[in-house]
Amino acid sequence: MSEDRLWKFRKPEWMNSAQARNAGVYTAGGLFSLAFYVLLDSAVWSKKVNGSNVHINFVDWLPFIFSSLGMLIINSVEKQRLSADSFSYSGSGVAWKARVVLFLGFAALAGGMSGGAIVFVLKFVVDEVGWPAMTMGVENVVANALVGLSTVVLWISQNMEDEYAYNLAL
Amino acid sequence: MPAAGLKTIIALSFVLAVGFLLVILSCALFKSYYPLLVVATYVLAPVPNWICSHCANPDDFVESSGAAVLDLGRFCTGFLVVMGFALPVILAHSGIITVPAMIMSVIGGLLIYGTIVSFGMFFQEEQEF
Repeated sequence: MSEDRLWKFRKPEWMNSAQARNAGVYTAGGLFSLAFYVLLDSAVWSKKVNGSNVHINFVDWLPFIFSSLGMLIINSVEKQRLSADSFSYSGSGVAWKARVVLFLGFAALAGGMSGGAIVFVLKFVVDEVGWPAMTMGVENVVANALVGLSTVVLWISQNMEDEYAYNLAL
Repeated sequence: MPAAGLKTIIALSFVLAVGFLLVILSCALFKSYYPLLVVATYVLAPVPNWICSHCANPDDFVESSGAAVLDLGRFCTGFLVVMGFALPVILAHSGIITVPAMIMSVIGGLLIYGTIVSFGMFFQEEQEF
């Protein structure tokens, strides 16, 4: 197993433990929750204390919906089907299908993140909204970035699983 | 931990009562009962973990579908725990509740959730094999 390593630095030993993996999954959930509530905060703030005439409506939620959809797709794919280019795992084009689905997922995630930036620029920067109201646009960008971060954390901690299962199988 | 006896139970229930006191005070002092949602969040937080641990069979490492269900439960638990912090902050940011009410309900929620977690940690031993 260690013979076909590519990188010089090996993964630290603690990363293979079950606790680190569980902590990663909890962290991913927390980050996603943070993203959702950052966006919800902008919506509530827009309804309650907003002085300007820029308001949060469905368009502001759309990037978040897309990036969450992308996150769902990415983390639903079985990772082992993807890495297996040997015939034994990926029978009749399963790896190919997994790559297509994963590509769609990443496209949705990246589309959501850039969508957040687009909403921020078109709705807030171009119209030169003043500062307390500008927070709503910034929160949109932050929320989508947090969804991306959550996806990364969940992906990494799900990839720890293989090593962990392998250690137990020995 | 073998020393988890009567004293632990008394201490935990005391902390739980203080947590509830803080949350209820943060509602009643400012005549706005939104912070009670924090209690619901923290009580609901272990539920997805619990449900998913009953759905999954932790012994099958081969298919790793059991681990996926467990991960879903952990993800939802993490979501709910952060929700307990985020909700009062949102309410305070929008001026629905005041900042002291926010601080009190966050601390109260932390005490409640800490009690639940430490209760689970202290009294889990009997179920293990």
